[in-house]
Amino acid sequence: MELKAPALYAPALRQIPVLIAGLVIALPVAIVLVTGLAEGGGAAWAHIRDTLLARYLSGTLAVLALTAILCLLMAVPAAWLVTMFRFPGRGVFEWLLVLPLAGPGYVLAYAWSDLAGVAGPLQSGLRAATGWSAREYWFPDISSLPGLSFVLACSLYPYVYLTARAAFIAQSVCTMEAARSLGAGAGRTFWSVALPAARPAIAAGLALALMEAAADYGAAEFLGVPTLTFGIVRAWKSFGDPAAAARLAFVLLALILTFVIVERWSRGRAGTQQSSIRWRQIPRAVLSGPAALGATALCTSLFAAAFALPVGRLVWRSLESGARSTRIWDALGNSILLAGAGAALAFILALIIALSIRARGPLATFARIAASSGYAIPGAVLALGALAVIGSLPVTLSGITALAALAWVYAVRFTAAGTEPMAAALARAPVSIGQAAQSLGASPLRRTFAVDLPVAMSGAAAAALVLFVEALKELPATLMLRPFNWDTLSVRAYAYASDERLAAAALPALLITLAGLLPVILLSWQISRARPGGAE
Amino acid sequence: MTGRLETISVTRSYGTRVIVENVTLSLAPGEITALLGGSGAGKSTLLRLLAGLEPVDAGEVRLGSRILSAPGRTLPPEQRRIGLIFQDFALFPHLTAARNVAFGLKHLPRDQAAATVDRWIGLLGLAGRAGAYPHELSGGEQQRVAIARALAPEPAAILMDEPFSGLDPALSGSVREAALAAVRAAGIPALMVTHDPAEALESADQIAILSGGRLLQSGTAENVYLRPASLAAARSLGAVNVFPRASLPASWQAAAPQPGGFVGFRPEGVRLDPASQTRFVVRSRRLMGPLVRLTLDGHGLQLNALAPPSSAPMQGAEVGVSLDPALTFTFASDET
Repeated sequence: MELKAPALYAPALRQIPVLIAGLVIALPVAIVLVTGLAEGGGAAWAHIRDTLLARYLSGTLAVLALTAILCLLMAVPAAWLVTMFRFPGRGVFEWLLVLPLAGPGYVLAYAWSDLAGVAGPLQSGLRAATGWSAREYWFPDISSLPGLSFVLACSLYPYVYLTARAAFIAQSVCTMEAARSLGAGAGRTFWSVALPAARPAIAAGLALALMEAAADYGAAEFLGVPTLTFGIVRAWKSFGDPAAAARLAFVLLALILTFVIVERWSRGRAGTQQSSIRWRQIPRAVLSGPAALGATALCTSLFAAAFALPVGRLVWRSLESGARSTRIWDALGNSILLAGAGAALAFILALIIALSIRARGPLATFARIAASSGYAIPGAVLALGALAVIGSLPVTLSGITALAALAWVYAVRFTAAGTEPMAAALARAPVSIGQAAQSLGASPLRRTFAVDLPVAMSGAAAAALVLFVEALKELPATLMLRPFNWDTLSVRAYAYASDERLAAAALPALLITLAGLLPVILLSWQISRARPGGAE
Repeated sequence: MTGRLETISVTRSYGTRVIVENVTLSLAPGEITALLGGSGAGKSTLLRLLAGLEPVDAGEVRLGSRILSAPGRTLPPEQRRIGLIFQDFALFPHLTAARNVAFGLKHLPRDQAAATVDRWIGLLGLAGRAGAYPHELSGGEQQRVAIARALAPEPAAILMDEPFSGLDPALSGSVREAALAAVRAAGIPALMVTHDPAEALESADQIAILSGGRLLQSGTAENVYLRPASLAAARSLGAVNVFPRASLPASWQAAAPQPGGFVGFRPEGVRLDPASQTRFVVRSRRLMGPLVRLTLDGHGLQLNALAPPSSAPMQGAEVGVSLDPALTFTFASDET
């Protein structure tokens, strides 16, 4: 009998699926980069570079800076309050404050511009209360750069809230008690112990939020703020020059890469791992009087601004206008079909990558990195890549080809959201399970199907839901690649809003938000259970 | 200057569950008191009451003549000047060793604070490690940083919660000696929570035994070991053989002169005595390290004894046995 050394690397043949998965994901980005470099120097680019680039770049930078500040101001105090104190409504706010994640930025932009417009309820109420006419007072304008930042922060602050809250819960209570015994009051304990320890988690959440903000097209376009993503879609649509758009994408990708590097670098050498080996439930201090009132008021106004007011407005508008249009229900069917196809493709890719991570080949690493870079790249840029690929093939962008291209772009964008939970589920399962299967005579292939796959599936249900909803919310790529006259909910909402028909845009926007609630509720439920003492 | 740190009849409950009940304990400056008890005895809660991390439901916590805690009135920990050392050290992970030690020196001018940090870093043998982050330090080094950090602000008292149980056993002996020397040198009341009787006996000037939230006994190590107030107190410091007085051989009853229905004696108080007419048979013999544990059978009793390996009889041998009066106690009841 022949004895074989245990294979450290999977045999070459078994690496083919993960190689294909990696290439499928990496291709659109690679194509955009190549196109941008090789062909992007035409007249349109010269025009964009000389007249628009500075505006796009400064617009994007200003929006990101302001969004970052607003996200931090919204998320960190709220996370600290619900983690460390007891006040009326605390238990409810703990998960309510995650809900705004459900509404994409463009939906919030439509709702808020309707709310805060001259004819909207806020200004009408103000006029009714004061007797002023519309010219006699100043009111913040949502269609502005600060307005865009506000709307984006409202939909993206939960990323920071979630990571900050997890970091506050995870830190050693003993560390904070040690600080107090050394003479630090509540304020200094927060600023010099709790916050620095949570800083990397907060930075990671903020990096995610800013990537999403940089990828936003719908809100920026609707509110009329020139950003790079806005410019990319415009270069493709108005100038008809995908190569010039690819050059702009280059600038955007460089910006995103800078974020990632700065975030990594800012972690430095200082440790953030808690040395605590003992875990104790956080003894929440009870707030009373004005402090309790202030905490409740802060959480209430945050929830109202980011969710209750805009979503309430969408519900009101939908009821008012009714669901007369059959176009909405067609669009709903299309959305489900397309998001389902995209999620299915992403799911398969994610599964292949997650299963291959254990084999530790260089290809698995490549595919995993490709997937997480895909997640950071705006849909508009990926759509450019897909357009370039289709342009080089003997097919036209219509019908089934267009739908397949869209499913592909969704998969590239969102595979990482599926890989990570599945890889985590696999990592939690002891290695000995697989070894037990092999000792019982299972072949590697049977081991994959009979053991690894069911284990990965425990993280897969949540992943599939996230993938589906992310695909459903996607706007710019859908806008660029969809077959002619074939609408999804996001496209319908965008089209109505662009025509200033906000009442009609309300229903599709609301449906997107309601679908988005499903994974968010699942997520907050999982998080509240993840730590034995996180929930009460 | 600092005075004693005292609890006077303190009680603390969580809902209907009484965690600490009517405990009166006094910690003298310059002395280390070991607070000994099993898990759930209320040791950590008593420490938290002293530190001001929890309020008292009844009684008082005092430092010298100053009242720190009374029902409805708790001076917050940051105003007590009481140092804390935790089992997991609780170092600030984002600060270097030196900046951890400097954390409590905010009130000092910068150069003075730096000099104080240098002095403590040197005192605890951390000179080369001042710039290292906690995750770059060994367990023993982290422990010493925690001690330097707690002592540098010159606290009025220091409380240690299982300070050595997180360390490698091979390491904890030497670390403990150095650490407790620094604590003693500070000349302030010191409390060390522990579940290890050997550690308490070896390191503490005073031992306080806590069980079910109540203080069973407190006193010098020797006093508590040799004159336990109850069977429970005796057991918490080591093994005890206990029998009804009437069931003992007549010659032994004289070894326990005080009245009391039950007699207890420690295994090391069982003397193998060829002259004794009270004979037992060796049922089992097991080497426990430096000593041999013998199980002896006779007179309707079965008891444990300890003997050096060189003089311990073989299994099945018959031996004469007498009791050491110093290690024999009488109790009113055999309930623990």
